[in-house]
Amino acid sequence: MTSPSGGSPLNAPPGGEDKIRVLSVEVEDGPNTLTKVSGAIRRRGFHVRGISVGPSRKPGRLRITLQVDHGHAEADQVRKQLERLVEVVDVEDVTADEIHSREMVMATVAAAELDGLLRHGAKVLATGPKGTTVEFTGERDEVGAFVDELHRHGIVDVARSGPVVMRRTA
Amino acid sequence: MTGADMVLEALEREGVEYVFGYPGGANLPLYQHLHEHPKLKHILVRHEQGAAHMADGYARASGRPGVVFATSGPGALNLVTGLCTAYMDSVPMVAITGQVPSTVVGRDAFQESDVIGATSSVTKHSYLVTRIDQLPRVIHEAFHIATTGRPGPVLIDICRDVQQADADRVTPDGVDIAGYRLNGHVDLDGARQAAVALAAAERPVILAGHGVLLSHAEPQLLELAEGAATPVGTTLLGIGAFPVKHPLSLHMTGFMGTGWNLKAVQNADVLMMVGMRVDDRVTAKLADFAPNVKTFIHVDIDGSEMGKNVRPHIELVADAKAALAAMLPHVAALNPGRAAWLQQIDRWREEHPLRYRKSNGRLQPQDVLIDMYGRARSEAIVVADVGQNQIWAALWWNYDRPGLFINSGGAGTMGFALPAAIGAKFARPDVPVWCVAGEGGFVMTAQELSVAVEHQLDVKIVLLNNFSLGMVRQFQDDFYGGVRSQVDLTHMPDFVKLAEAYGLPALRVEKLEDVGPSFDAAERTKGPFLIDFRIDPEANVYPIVPIGKSLNEFWEAPES
Repeated sequence: MTSPSGGSPLNAPPGGEDKIRVLSVEVEDGPNTLTKVSGAIRRRGFHVRGISVGPSRKPGRLRITLQVDHGHAEADQVRKQLERLVEVVDVEDVTADEIHSREMVMATVAAAELDGLLRHGAKVLATGPKGTTVEFTGERDEVGAFVDELHRHGIVDVARSGPVVMRRTA
Repeated sequence: MTGADMVLEALEREGVEYVFGYPGGANLPLYQHLHEHPKLKHILVRHEQGAAHMADGYARASGRPGVVFATSGPGALNLVTGLCTAYMDSVPMVAITGQVPSTVVGRDAFQESDVIGATSSVTKHSYLVTRIDQLPRVIHEAFHIATTGRPGPVLIDICRDVQQADADRVTPDGVDIAGYRLNGHVDLDGARQAAVALAAAERPVILAGHGVLLSHAEPQLLELAEGAATPVGTTLLGIGAFPVKHPLSLHMTGFMGTGWNLKAVQNADVLMMVGMRVDDRVTAKLADFAPNVKTFIHVDIDGSEMGKNVRPHIELVADAKAALAAMLPHVAALNPGRAAWLQQIDRWREEHPLRYRKSNGRLQPQDVLIDMYGRARSEAIVVADVGQNQIWAALWWNYDRPGLFINSGGAGTMGFALPAAIGAKFARPDVPVWCVAGEGGFVMTAQELSVAVEHQLDVKIVLLNNFSLGMVRQFQDDFYGGVRSQVDLTHMPDFVKLAEAYGLPALRVEKLEDVGPSFDAAERTKGPFLIDFRIDPEANVYPIVPIGKSLNEFWEAPES
């Protein structure tokens, strides 16, 4: 994974990117699942850098996309420790794979002038007295660059998602 | 039928003989119906930690899962140390805890605690049951998960209203758990590579852990060792996997292992580790562990152990017995000559014998244990606590069979020995059970003496009393600047009177000549018996590797 641009507050600090594993995890949809997954990550000394959870194709299953810093453990330990959990049906470590990866950011900016954001491909969701709310979806470093652009427009409010990934098929 | 009956009937169906437990508000329905299920024998403990250790000792001695009942909140939380002990040592256990009614979960009800949250890091799996229709499947799955693959404790937290609800009887048929992987299959090519590497080595060593015992792979290990002329050491929990008096035995490895074992490990060129976690107590300073090894071979049923601490060149994620059996044909064909290496190990065995100080006129722990083991021969179960007593008990007997030495290895839980010995005695009433403990650990769970007395269990308690936290004192003396800090246990009960108060006979022994007669008295007496051995408070465990140092740097006992 390439380094994100800038060091602004919403972007990960530079460095340490080689410690990040990207995993696509299929789990049973149950009340304990997310606790078990996050607990396994915490107690092995790993650190979640990004997470997104949503339904999977199969009923009763969820798909979790995780970006995890494996710290001083071996890189394959993240997958192996997650595989030990009974709630976890399948783990794919896609770090080294060709993948589509998308993150999303929504922000309300104070500036009326939006050209810089629109050039990046932002979509305007609403305009109101406190500013304009925009949405942007892209790869991690595109979102990073967009966040830098947001800072130049006076951020009133902002929310950034974790990644959603899929293997490239062609 | 009620949910409680469903639970109890399921336990009977799973073949459960004993339940170690303690009633309370949230599991009262289970206790209301318990007497309607006479196949289940319930042992009322005096503290829930005792229940968990009894179930643990029962499981280790019988090979069957130990079963525990506790109520919600403090009852369940008192199990945590016992669950952790079983989890670290891969012991099959099913703990069934009562939870507040499902309608009040999350409202900080009386005796409510998040038991799943508190125990998920010390259980192999856990369930919160909020609906009665979940019960039959959950209990069946719990036993399956606890006893298969790498065994471990499974906790089932059942809301009280579920225990009281009514539903039709359902008998689950089979289990189908999408996320539960059993690594039964052996990679035959990997097994061949491992065997070839072992046979072709100049200085091979095999280390065997608890996994060898759990999979009953001792015959295959012996055949492989003899076929490949390869010396075998065991971990603390692997004791019994290989006969200590065998010419190829290296006895115990790790930072309190034997000198000849550590020499062999540090000079080996091929090291095969079977059914073990390769933890810090085995490796000491990891960067200097087995520095001459060109090929690490790791066999374990848990794939996450591969490369967790030591990256193997050849890995076999499989049951130890199946993996070793798959290596055997390839080893026999190569028939290696290994004379120089084996002669070197024999020299190290002579140069670095186990020894202890006998000359200062005080009772030495080894004097006590050697006499005890002479009586136990290889027919009794010895359950050790944690600390110096544990290592002395591990080193000072030539175990030649599996299943006779029980102790808390991974968690190192003080207070384990007495309740675990009680559990072991319930499992094996035909076999003598000796409980070896220091006075520090003993008082942590001494209340369970009542259980031994109530059931007149033939458990003989060998208290190695040095009036201090001996292992901590030794570490302070040697590795923490000689500052003796908070290790003095002068103010302890009179253990003979304590035993009498609980209703069991006891003796105090301070002299070597009284050791034999005291054991004679213990053996003559039916039921529990305690001997308070006043041992040399300065006695140390040797060999020992200083903290942070490599296995090469082990210290030995001064010559006496």
